[in-house]
Amino acid sequence: MEVVGQIVSGKVGEILIRQKSGESIELGDLLVVEEGSSLLILQVFDLCYGSQIPPSARELLAGIKLEGFDAGLEFLEPELRNYVMATVKAIARVSSDRKDIKIPKILPHFFSSVRRIEKEDLAFLTKPSNPVYLGKVRSGSKIIDVDIYLNAKDTFRHHILIPATTGRGKSNLVKVMLWSVLGQGTVGALVLDPHDEYYGRHDKGLKDHPKAKDNVLYYSSNPPAGTNTLIVNLKSITPRHFQGIVTFTDPQQDAIKLYYNRFNEDWIENIVRGVDVNGVAPRTLEVLQRKFDTVLGVFLDDSGNLRCRNRVFSDSAGMTTISDIVNALENGKIVIIDTSHLSDEAELLIGSIIVNEIFHRYQAYKSVGELDTKPTVAVVLEEAPRVLSSEVLATVGDNIYSTVAREGRKFNIGLIAITQLTSLIPRPILANMNTKIILGNEMAIERRAVIDSAAQDLSEDERNIASLDKGEAIVTSIFTKFAVPIQIPLFEEYIEQTTSKEQKGKMVFVG
Amino acid sequence: MIQVYKFAHLADCHLGANRDPVLEDLELAAFKKALDSCLEEKVDFIVITGDLFHANIPDMHIANEAVKKVKEVRDKNIPIYAIYGSHDYSPNETSMIDILDSAGLIKKIVKGEVTGGKLKLEFFIDPKTKAKLVGISARKVGLEKSYFEILDRTSLERESGFKIFMFHSALSELKPEYLSQMESIPVSLLPRGFDYYAGGHIHQHSELSLPDYKRIVYPGTLFAGYPRDFEESAKGVKRGFYIVSFEEKIVDVKFKEVPVCEYVYFEYDASNKNSIQARKELLEELEKIQAEKKLVVVKIKGELSGGKTSDISSTEIRSLLIEKGATYVSINRYGLTSKEYSAIKTIGGDILMIENKLFRENIGTIKITDEALKGEKGTKLAVDLLKILRQEQKLGEKKNDYIERIQKQALDVLRLQEVFT
Repeated sequence: MEVVGQIVSGKVGEILIRQKSGESIELGDLLVVEEGSSLLILQVFDLCYGSQIPPSARELLAGIKLEGFDAGLEFLEPELRNYVMATVKAIARVSSDRKDIKIPKILPHFFSSVRRIEKEDLAFLTKPSNPVYLGKVRSGSKIIDVDIYLNAKDTFRHHILIPATTGRGKSNLVKVMLWSVLGQGTVGALVLDPHDEYYGRHDKGLKDHPKAKDNVLYYSSNPPAGTNTLIVNLKSITPRHFQGIVTFTDPQQDAIKLYYNRFNEDWIENIVRGVDVNGVAPRTLEVLQRKFDTVLGVFLDDSGNLRCRNRVFSDSAGMTTISDIVNALENGKIVIIDTSHLSDEAELLIGSIIVNEIFHRYQAYKSVGELDTKPTVAVVLEEAPRVLSSEVLATVGDNIYSTVAREGRKFNIGLIAITQLTSLIPRPILANMNTKIILGNEMAIERRAVIDSAAQDLSEDERNIASLDKGEAIVTSIFTKFAVPIQIPLFEEYIEQTTSKEQKGKMVFVG
Repeated sequence: MIQVYKFAHLADCHLGANRDPVLEDLELAAFKKALDSCLEEKVDFIVITGDLFHANIPDMHIANEAVKKVKEVRDKNIPIYAIYGSHDYSPNETSMIDILDSAGLIKKIVKGEVTGGKLKLEFFIDPKTKAKLVGISARKVGLEKSYFEILDRTSLERESGFKIFMFHSALSELKPEYLSQMESIPVSLLPRGFDYYAGGHIHQHSELSLPDYKRIVYPGTLFAGYPRDFEESAKGVKRGFYIVSFEEKIVDVKFKEVPVCEYVYFEYDASNKNSIQARKELLEELEKIQAEKKLVVVKIKGELSGGKTSDISSTEIRSLLIEKGATYVSINRYGLTSKEYSAIKTIGGDILMIENKLFRENIGTIKITDEALKGEKGTKLAVDLLKILRQEQKLGEKKNDYIERIQKQALDVLRLQEVFT
């Protein structure tokens, strides 16, 4: 056993270890105390200096060196007198067969020797069924060759929050996760992609997965060959899709109800065409027309034809777009919607139409006892506070995303919410997000918001979180016994290991 | 002065689809009337985008009648350009379409070869108008998608002149809602920037426009390929073809209706009535219909509160309406069920939908322990397997290679490769 330190004092949740000279214990390091044949895993959350020399003597010695009285002056037996103290907490007790772990309830033996964690110590981290890959275990900044998987069906259903500031690798993580579940058929995912980075139009992306052809659908208003044009028929939109996404005054809502009751699926067309309906003031109709022009981009041209500025909404095409997408999700496929050319509201509206449809379908499946045969559906939502912040929910009201956050678990639907600003999301919703994959964040208020709603006690981990580099993360989940520090692989490197060249046979063309 | 040319665009004539003599006559009448209309309009050429016949080798009487009419048009120096549809496709080029092509009565315009993994197509140029035609024929159950996926679009897009792209596939973005389960291709697989996209396969006429694909046109069926087409016609869908005028660009596109009979549509909801009440009420209602010289479509739906669905007799309904002078009676009772009768019924617009539903419902009645064979997973497995087993022998493929290919693909789908290797 290569000892790196020794327990010298402390209490539950705050054990002090003296570092052996020549060793460098890092923040976030995983250390082990062997207790017979079982192990106790410790994690470092703070570091400080320790010294046997009184402070006044140290200050005097520093002065002598700095002022040049005796530049060669050294401490007597410095490795004994000066050292580093690591503050650690016990995070897991591992059984002697390494198959079982428990939350530690007693302190390690006083004065125990401590060593670094090794791959074999983590044998209890096995690959579950329906695995979603997150990365390798990380001890400080060192990578341990142990893969971390969670059960995708369970984890996605219980929602995932990915909090981090820009450039910490949020989309890289989600791409790695989706790549690992692609083709399993047990998990469908809807990705609303405002930066058009998941499919890999120009670089590597989910399109490069060996099973992508049958399992990835990509919709864009400017689709590359072989992918789908994003066109949603206006008939697919009902008033409830706008709920919590677009603000309407009471008279406007009343008008919408009247048009919907009278024209059913043609309600938007008739509003845009300005067809009079009793009880709707001309002024209200004009405002609604302007709103639909702003949100949907639909308007009447000089010849009286219905047109759409962003070409995403149509009165003639796209009749099956929503059902095609929902069918694909229901069949465990990944659907990526490139919303990079759309306004925020249009993006959220398209998401709302799809999520509403899948939500109500899954509700119906549950009522007839068929839900268990369906894949779990995850909705990847960038900048989640756009629809989940306290302010939005208070002013615009609940929307389908907040409904999924609260009730989705019952219906096998979960959110993968990505955000820089966790503090804006109300606590009840954060509490429902049972897995949090925490990447680096410089903002203390945001770190606190994540820590306060974590599945494990991370009250001492603020420094750990603040010191996370790009690709480093901490996974806290009801599906893990402790908060696991991980290193997320770079997507491009990760997929190299799983991509193989497809052998294509010669095709004979029959005209 | 630039000359204005005209061409006609027909598709999905489905000659030979209807075995009943009355329908067979109407089907041929529609075809003859459409070609007569082309002659009246003095079109410069005709394009037929698939499924001229309902089978690759149709009934000889039908073939004979069709050939006579085609010859009449050809004798007036109006060329007919065609592609295979999913019904008259032949992997060995032994379809009626090929016979007509060999006889010089029509011209199959699809020509190309796969080189370097890319499908390179050659344009056919109409000698008179210099219009450039190119296209991809259909294969069974949407298998032509693999051709589109390797199509060298760039060379086709670069070509100048008035260009027509002929295809016989549903486009995902333009499918009507009732065909949501139909195999389709995304429009992005078509080459961009053609003047006219002449489509076939969708049985309702439609004209649509998308960015880079200005004019995508489906003429729909001329008469009917399936009973569902009668229902749509009876509900008011017009049947016919398109006449397109062009100079260097399209000048005008108009739909030319080809009516061959009058329709009556009658729908009856039997919900919450027992079979005796429903039969009585239905027959009373049918008595009121003006059926003389009309093709009558009767749709019966709903769940009977008691009795058998067979208590409502199709023969009785048909006799009543024929006595009232109907030329033909089409009855759709797939939506009729009874609380006392639990045999599996299928409701669906197309074959794929029906197959899906049949698998799903039948799987529910069988006791299976393997999760992979249950529910949606089992349905998907069955559908995927059926898709593979449907594949035909490729041109030039040896029988043993064909068997080996199908076996390999089937084992892949069943995930049994390791067991058999």
